[in-house]
Amino acid sequence: MDRAIYIAMTGAKNNMMAQTSHANNMANLSTTGFKADFEQARSMGVYYGDGQPTRAYALTESPSADFASGPMIATGNPLDMAIQGNGFIAVQAPDGSEGYTRAGNFNIDAFGTLRTANGLAVLGNSGPINFPPLDKLEIGSDGTISIIALGQGAETMVEANRLKLVNPDLKNIEKGVDGLFRQRDGLTAEVAANVRVAGGMLEGSNVNAMSEFTEILALARQYEMQVKLMKTADDNSAASTQLLQMS
Amino acid sequence: MMSALYVSKTGLAAQDKQLSTISNNLANTSTVGFKRDRAMFEDLLYQVQRQPGAQSTQDSQLPSGLQLGTGTRVVATQKQFSQGNIQVTEQPLDVAINGRGFLQILQADGTIAYTRNGQLQINSEGQVVNNDGLVLEPAITVPQGANRITIGKDGTVNAYTVGQVAPQQLGNITLADFVNPAGLQAIGGNLFVESVASGDAQQGAPGENGMGALLQGNLESSNVDIVEEMVNMITTQRAYEMNSKVVSTADQMLQYISQNL
Repeated sequence: MDRAIYIAMTGAKNNMMAQTSHANNMANLSTTGFKADFEQARSMGVYYGDGQPTRAYALTESPSADFASGPMIATGNPLDMAIQGNGFIAVQAPDGSEGYTRAGNFNIDAFGTLRTANGLAVLGNSGPINFPPLDKLEIGSDGTISIIALGQGAETMVEANRLKLVNPDLKNIEKGVDGLFRQRDGLTAEVAANVRVAGGMLEGSNVNAMSEFTEILALARQYEMQVKLMKTADDNSAASTQLLQMS
Repeated sequence: MMSALYVSKTGLAAQDKQLSTISNNLANTSTVGFKRDRAMFEDLLYQVQRQPGAQSTQDSQLPSGLQLGTGTRVVATQKQFSQGNIQVTEQPLDVAINGRGFLQILQADGTIAYTRNGQLQINSEGQVVNNDGLVLEPAITVPQGANRITIGKDGTVNAYTVGQVAPQQLGNITLADFVNPAGLQAIGGNLFVESVASGDAQQGAPGENGMGALLQGNLESSNVDIVEEMVNMITTQRAYEMNSKVVSTADQMLQYISQNL
């Protein structure tokens, strides 16, 4: 059989994978601080000899995430914060390494440690942030956290810690398998003083439902064309078999 | 089969849970002392189909690989312990907590549950109970013939009886507080129980050491914000529709290949 059917097959297979990437973006329409994944297709030529270079297979890649800001949602919860503009919040991944996230929906656990919604410790000046029992907490625009300890008056507001906010070069940032961002070179990012946060706000998912859905429809049609090509290759093969058949 | 189907399924399931949370919040708009829940989403693990940085030949590397996400899930529902509106009822046995803290209720099995609902009543034995008839802890018994009960900001309960000038002190209502109130486990009936996440209960007198003061003749209404819930409901519905569209698109793709090949 002609190799055309295999080329069309890689097209169809990679369309399906691209579809999964878009489906994941769509599933995370309401995930706080989620960054949409890009998906792109590339032709991978497999050429040999001097013949016509027609054997180019399709290859789907996820080159990067879309780092555009998501919508700002006012929640009024003192433990919520959103980053304005570029930057990330440093958190401790389960394996002890440092990861970066844009999801600022925090809570305080039974031991007074500041944690993200999925239980990762938020990093401050020196490691995880711990609070004494507290009455009020305020997050300043540079990530400084001031607290009023339980049973104290408003005049006792003290600076407790400062969130570790980083602003690494986005070209050097990639999403890990756990959804946290890390530097490609494996190093930890420097503390950046210019990152601005807003307390009482959350950053919504930056997935654009319209463009995702348009992409999904375009991919579905492209997939149908690949299938048509496979069908044509099959028909051609059937016709040539019939020609050579002795009746 | 096609993983897009399963990825969208996680989106549908998470939006479904979000809608349950919203409908529970809306259903409890008039529940005294109710604290609203918020569903928190998290992206699931990513699968590396092709590792970025792998050698494509001896001298060249793949500039970017292919990582496919596997969807979303509701990682937690967080109780929001913001203060509800204080509503004046003029009922002597209604108390609202203005600030932190929980009233303690003795459950039938002898353990303590915690509540922000201050609708108290008196049972046939004169004990102060909640709406379900569970006794307030520490127990306070109102004597026969008491015609007026006062509850002070600090929790002191006094009763005035006919013919006596001086009030009779019946006891003190104490409050309990937690490091992480959001970690309390809601058990229904407006009650919460302690969990590992909430930390141990710390008892204190109302109005002291950070505890809220008690306000007699007031109730704390539910802290559900109807407008916010409505907006959340709209986004949930649309996100659900979008995800179901992805499911049907993936289905059509599979249908097309099975019919045409």
